[in-house]
Amino acid sequence: MTTKLKIDGTTYDVTVDEETPLLWVLREYLNLTGTKYGCGVAQCGACTVLLDGKAVRSCATNLKEIGDKEIMTIANKTDPLLKKVQEAWVEEDVPQCGYCQSGQIMNATGLLKANHNPSEKEIVAGMNGNICRCGTYNRIKNAIKKINAGA
Amino acid sequence: MELSRRTFLKNTALVTSAFIVGFYLPVKANAAEDTKETNTLKPNAFIQIDADNTITFFMGQAEMGQGTYTALAMCIADELDAHWEAVHFKASGIDPVYNSVFGPWMLTAGSTSISTKQLEMRQVGAAVNLMLKKAAAARWNTDLSNIKTHNAELMNLKTGDKFTYGDLVADIKTMSIPQDPELKALKDCSLIGKPTRRHPSEAWAKVTGQAEYGVDVRMENLKYAAVLHPAVFGAKIVSFDASKALKRNGIIKIKQIPNGISVIAEHWFQAKEALNYIDVVWDKGEFAKISTKDIRKEYDALLHTPGASMRRDGDTAKAFKEAHSIISADYEFPFLAHAPMEPLNCTVHHTGDSAKMWTGGQVQTVYQKVCADILGLKPEAVEYNNTFLGGGFGRRAAANADYINDAVYTAKDEAWPIMTLWTREDDIRMGNYRPMYKNKARVALNKHGDITAFEAKVVGQPVVKDTILGFLFKDGVDWAQWDGLTDHPYSIANHDMQAHSPSSPIPVLWWRSVGHTQTAPLVEGIVDEAAYKAGVDPIAYRISMLEDLRCIKLLEDVAKISDWKNRKKEKNIGYGVALVKSFGSIVAQVAKVKVSKNDFKVLKVWCSVDCGFAINPLNIENQMISGINFGLAPTKYSEITIKNGEAEQNNFYDYLVTRISDAPDIQVSIVNSGDKIGGIGETAVPPIFPAVANAIFDATGKRYHSLPIKIS
Repeated sequence: MTTKLKIDGTTYDVTVDEETPLLWVLREYLNLTGTKYGCGVAQCGACTVLLDGKAVRSCATNLKEIGDKEIMTIANKTDPLLKKVQEAWVEEDVPQCGYCQSGQIMNATGLLKANHNPSEKEIVAGMNGNICRCGTYNRIKNAIKKINAGA
Repeated sequence: MELSRRTFLKNTALVTSAFIVGFYLPVKANAAEDTKETNTLKPNAFIQIDADNTITFFMGQAEMGQGTYTALAMCIADELDAHWEAVHFKASGIDPVYNSVFGPWMLTAGSTSISTKQLEMRQVGAAVNLMLKKAAAARWNTDLSNIKTHNAELMNLKTGDKFTYGDLVADIKTMSIPQDPELKALKDCSLIGKPTRRHPSEAWAKVTGQAEYGVDVRMENLKYAAVLHPAVFGAKIVSFDASKALKRNGIIKIKQIPNGISVIAEHWFQAKEALNYIDVVWDKGEFAKISTKDIRKEYDALLHTPGASMRRDGDTAKAFKEAHSIISADYEFPFLAHAPMEPLNCTVHHTGDSAKMWTGGQVQTVYQKVCADILGLKPEAVEYNNTFLGGGFGRRAAANADYINDAVYTAKDEAWPIMTLWTREDDIRMGNYRPMYKNKARVALNKHGDITAFEAKVVGQPVVKDTILGFLFKDGVDWAQWDGLTDHPYSIANHDMQAHSPSSPIPVLWWRSVGHTQTAPLVEGIVDEAAYKAGVDPIAYRISMLEDLRCIKLLEDVAKISDWKNRKKEKNIGYGVALVKSFGSIVAQVAKVKVSKNDFKVLKVWCSVDCGFAINPLNIENQMISGINFGLAPTKYSEITIKNGEAEQNNFYDYLVTRISDAPDIQVSIVNSGDKIGGIGETAVPPIFPAVANAIFDATGKRYHSLPIKIS
């Protein structure tokens, strides 16, 4: 069946089984490969996108759960907060292999949308679902602390 | 390789009015098979300059997070006087000019990219810079000394005239390449030695999702495959019925391949889901009876029999007989998966008498040959394309090429390009683990508390034997068994060190820092025990047994930055130290750990590193942070255990790794000793195991010898 998806300001019609996780619709039907597959079971956060501003694991979110919610991915070019997070990531020299960083950045963006000035404790609690095997966590903490999300 | 070089040059030459340059500067170690002429210049491709002044560097080393692209590019760009922000990178094709120090193939491993390539890259940059100056001097009819280069431009100091590098492409195309160009003095370098962020082109690609990993390769008509693998190591397929799976949406074809059953579909999720609908009759084999406790029993028995000698000097029997005291310890380290964040994958398009492949690999030449052999082609008929690697840690230099085999057999004789992608469960359960080890160590102390003899026994499957690094398996002993143990830095008179190499159907593999993962906790654990037995401060005790001044200086440095002498005695808080020489560098760490009833938390790690000279200090700091956080996973959590021949773990919910809540504060100090440049990517991993274990002892009075540490 055909589903309408609003992704980063564009509306797409996709014809796909509505049980399919959003991750695979993004990656293979729309070739939006910035959103990554890491575990398939919502354990690592590599696939994180925002649904109406809230971070979700796209590997465990079926198409039918989305309805008319707006999807924001790492490829979004207009969201000012996402841009700030990306700039902070470059400034703090966060990415190493970089594979998990799409998910880290989207999760951090979701965190900052809900809480403009998170404490270290809130950062750790908010980011604990995102795994980075390169261990860039220290840089991630620094980057999030530097972002002025309210401005 | 000639054909591939021609193909490669032809491809790069498609960009008209470009200048491409390279050197062939042969490396010495183990280059016996490579009988190419020595010290001759051979145009190839490290640098490409286009007429519009676009400058592109071709990278033979794989970028898997360790910062190699940036560091090597810094070496070229600094000498070339390129415009740093504006340079571009491309992964190179396969060519002997990019071969590794280990042998006649491209390999990114052993923390060697910078130590073995930096000089060559500087020479490449300097040579082209000189050629450009010569060309400009001829055009302006002036002396070389009147020409200055900066940001990919040449300036005539007398007249103020300017050329871009691109303006002179035609002039230098016919020029001979200078053999021995003068390099900049380090004080004149603008990039080398300066803390430099990841190159913006790479960093921005990675924060916007634009960076292409193997799993992101897309092309017309691409199909996807998932593979049903045996759960029991070594199990074989007797028969299977795929009729139900074939009826599912999107399924194109299902076929048996040597390591399982491959399902080809329009989309990967369809292929993966269809795996659940294949009925297989397995011949599970003998290993289905084996569990970790059986392996433990086998290894324990081996510990009590003589093994292959790794090191024997002096008279240990006499030293132990005369010992004032003896410390002995047993260690157990489990199998470990690498679990890079990007699940393993490879895309292959077989087109009759040629093929193309795409993957992020650490051992490009070998993967190309694996593909060619399976398809019955010559290697040069296979076009290999390397992408960014979503983590490597050794896993993407698979000695048995497991995931590459799956991809090539799947795509063999098929009409479409096919991406074969492993699930996370495949990655965790299919082996190629850091081996399980059972070790034993014993030291004799004299009445002053000095170690007079060191005995050790290592039991674990060999890693390099029967691989391209097989030359590192010698006299029945594997490199991963002795590295860091037989060459420990301490002055001890008598040694008897032996190894056993059991076998099993579980494939094992090098894992970030390789042998040091099992030798560092042993050596730095028992030396620490000896220090406490001797009643001497653990840092002072180590220094008293060291002759290597770099090691001594590094311990002094880590003592200073951690304010070791003034550390406070607090309840449940402990401090531990460790020093490990690995991959040509030295790293010393002090860990501060808080222990609670059933748990511990590493609060802070102070880390001093001497890699000779820090080409990119910022990246070295990043790699120390990376190694510490990576090493904390098996210190606290990660283990693969076997039950009835299968791995018991499946995914990140039962194969636990370090998360942000586990990451300690980390303070890094870089000591530039000026010694030979060493490696970085793996060197922070080994000391963290013993530093934490020693800190837990300091806090609790209890020694934990095995990993992961389970507080009891």
